[in-house]
Amino acid sequence: MDFLEIKDLQVYFPIKGGIFNRTVDHIKAVDGVSFNIEQGKTYGLVGESGSGKSTTGRAIIGLENITSGNVLFEGKDITSRRSKTKDVRKDIQMIFQDPYSSLNPRKRVLDVIAEPLRNFEKLSQQEEKKRVQELLEIVGLSPETILKYPHEFSGGQRQRIGVARAIALKPKLIIADEPVSALDVSVQAQVLNFMQDIQKELNLTYLFISHDLGIVKHMCDDIAIMYKGRYVEQGSKEDIFSNPQHIYTKRLIAAIPDINPRNRDKQFQFRSEVQKEFDESYDDYFDSEGLAYGLQHISDSHLVALPEKG
Amino acid sequence: MWKFIIRRLIITFPQLIVLSVLIFLMAQAMPGDALTGQVDPNVSPAIKEQLREKLGLNDPWHIKYADWVGGVVQGDFGDSFRFKMPVTDLLEQRIINSFWLAVVTLIFTYIIAVPLGLLSGRYNDTILDSSITGYTYIGFATPLFIFALIMLWIFGYQLGWFPTSGSVSPGLEPGSLEYIISKFNHLLLPAISMALIQTVSTVQYLRSEIVDTKQKEFIVTARAKGASEARVYNKHILRNSLLPIAAFFGYEITMLITGTIFVEQIFGYPGMGQLFLESINLRDYSVVNAIVLLFGSAAILGALLSDIILSIIDPRIRIK
Amino acid sequence: MEMNTMNMENESQDPNKSPSGLRILWKEIVRDKLALFSLLLLVVIIIFVYGISLILDQDEIVTVDLFAIHEAPSEEFILGTDYGGRDVFGQLIIGTRNSLSIGILVTLISGVFGIAFGLIAGFFGGHTDNSMMRVLDFFQILPFTMLVIVFISIVPSYTILAFSLIMAAFSWMGIARLIRSKALQEKELDYVQASKTLGTSNMKIIFREVMPNISSLIIVTMTLNLAANIGLESGLSFLGFGFPENTPSLGTLLSYATNPQTLEYRWWIWLPAAILILVLMLSVRNVGEALRRATDARQRRG
Repeated sequence: MDFLEIKDLQVYFPIKGGIFNRTVDHIKAVDGVSFNIEQGKTYGLVGESGSGKSTTGRAIIGLENITSGNVLFEGKDITSRRSKTKDVRKDIQMIFQDPYSSLNPRKRVLDVIAEPLRNFEKLSQQEEKKRVQELLEIVGLSPETILKYPHEFSGGQRQRIGVARAIALKPKLIIADEPVSALDVSVQAQVLNFMQDIQKELNLTYLFISHDLGIVKHMCDDIAIMYKGRYVEQGSKEDIFSNPQHIYTKRLIAAIPDINPRNRDKQFQFRSEVQKEFDESYDDYFDSEGLAYGLQHISDSHLVALPEKG
Repeated sequence: MWKFIIRRLIITFPQLIVLSVLIFLMAQAMPGDALTGQVDPNVSPAIKEQLREKLGLNDPWHIKYADWVGGVVQGDFGDSFRFKMPVTDLLEQRIINSFWLAVVTLIFTYIIAVPLGLLSGRYNDTILDSSITGYTYIGFATPLFIFALIMLWIFGYQLGWFPTSGSVSPGLEPGSLEYIISKFNHLLLPAISMALIQTVSTVQYLRSEIVDTKQKEFIVTARAKGASEARVYNKHILRNSLLPIAAFFGYEITMLITGTIFVEQIFGYPGMGQLFLESINLRDYSVVNAIVLLFGSAAILGALLSDIILSIIDPRIRIK
Repeated sequence: MEMNTMNMENESQDPNKSPSGLRILWKEIVRDKLALFSLLLLVVIIIFVYGISLILDQDEIVTVDLFAIHEAPSEEFILGTDYGGRDVFGQLIIGTRNSLSIGILVTLISGVFGIAFGLIAGFFGGHTDNSMMRVLDFFQILPFTMLVIVFISIVPSYTILAFSLIMAAFSWMGIARLIRSKALQEKELDYVQASKTLGTSNMKIIFREVMPNISSLIIVTMTLNLAANIGLESGLSFLGFGFPENTPSLGTLLSYATNPQTLEYRWWIWLPAAILILVLMLSVRNVGEALRRATDARQRRG
């Protein structure tokens, strides 16, 4: 039994038109995605904007309607919204990209963090306050800030409040949707390291969604690359970074900036090689619509989207 | 564009049906029925019951509704129990009066709105503009009936410039020139009063439209090419701002109807609005229903007409 | 150090500290001299009217006195008497009180309904929104003064509450439309999405999360609606479809002017009421407009 199993997930958005405002076409935001996540691991979902990576995460937690496919959490099918029992809601939580809009500006920190507690646990005011203060301490904020409003905090602090809210119910899986991309680079590392700390402490599993391969390399055990709603390549961190197979993956890796100036020529050469390969062999990797092919096994852990042989 | 028009038409039919059902239900809730006041009170209950059966008053509601709608479509609204005549005949003269009142009001509305809006928009943030804006601000907050009362008091009674009630002076030959002049004279004060209040939203719209258009690129370009100020306004800005205004008249119908009720009452003008109030007070419900249905349909069709005209001249609306 | 933390705590407990809170609204009113004057005027009128009407006896004022019909203003009757020999000044005071009270009541009823309607349509969007908006369009097209009059005439037990409900039934559309378009924007924000993932129910999200965030829009619209509703009520009373005659409103006094004699020769009966309605509506509107500028940062005056 897998911890989280996604089977052939599809999320389509309708395009309305015509006299009766009927659905005339679909945008295939997520178009047949399958993967497993092991408990305690961090699974990275990488792609450019519009690749469907966020939609995948939002579909799993129930913020988007699933067109077809299944989501199994600890063996239970939680695909339809109705079957998301309260337990499952408690077990899966989310950290949002924008620390400014994800906290209700009209609520005090106490009310923000206590929101999930009030939904699921009957606590007295005293107990609730104590729990919130503990949570604030876990995320490295002073427990005295409990009566402040979100706008009195910096972006990094606000994201910590968001994390405190997400872990309040002791969830098992956290979907982190670009958790640091709205933060200053100097604060990014702080928040990421702290996320790793609480992962160990609370035995959390992360579905880590990002467009930044550098961060994903730092955070994740397994990585998947998405492009136009489909998987391009999936594998362990080593598979992806040491042995990238798909031309799209290679391009992404080539684009990671290298700080060391001595490697500049090497880097430049590598990039032009990859670009050349991309131009020459584009048709080998993408079908006539510019979409990725189905996934083929290269090794046990490593899957690449290649045309079927023969 | 056709898609929009057809979709808009599809919305209109349910609206008309709901309106008719609403009025039908209201009619059912009103005391009395078609027999009330028609039959000698001394007639025995058994005969009354026979009559009711014959007239279909005991039928289930959906059959009654179908009968009623069938009659309405053929122009049969039943009889007025007060005036003892078919509602249709009763309405005829009143509709003509109200129609002319509405037409003259609309004409005045635009006669006032266009120059004020233009001046205010063209010379925005001048003293002229602030006084026009001040007028629209106060006009917007002033209830029509108070304004109309004060107009009647000042111009009708204190200064005596206008007749104070009726639609025509008595004793004039219908069709003669004096008759027509007298009719117009009776219309003038109510129409101006209504127009002065109702025009303010059009003035405001026109002003902001012109202030907006003034800064658009194609105007700046026209100026840069050396077009005279008069040409810029006549050729470019006016065309863009006036068409929507002309199309608004359909929406104004709802406002006009409300206005007519007050204004006709205050100026003693024998139109539909006054008839409506009279009939309500006299519990003459077949007349009330006919008027509500007519006015309601007029408002629905007016909105339809405006939406369609606007969609033709302004493609942005269609996206809705 | 201890002083500091204490200070901080005190400050953060102050609910007005929230960024777009009541303080901005208040500041804008104070900066706008016209609005401030209007607000003060309103307060004075309200205190005066409600204060005096405590002393006045409504039953005594509306009692017909056939020996004092149509008296001109005198020391006993500051504004003379009406066709029933009733004191006009007393009716003016009580009428203002009644008009204000009913205006507030109707604004509240239609506001609560309109806000709920708009929030639900905007929050759920899609088909819900579509069908709800069709209903709203329909209500908005109808000539509602007429329908209100018809309803008032067929309601079996006619009370002030019934009157308010009927008026509210046809005046909730404007605020509903505004709130709906705001809710459409608001629900896309992450804090709403977050509440969903935290297991908060939709109704709780709508009324406890979204609604506080559009409170300034609600306050502004309700204020502007109050002005409109005072006008509406007096208009209906003027036509004879408002309060019954033993409960005077400002519109009742104006309705005496439908008698040409009164209109032409006895201005003291109706003109004060007309002016009071105008003053009330303009003042409430001035305050409302200042509040609206305050909620739109680009238009703030200071």
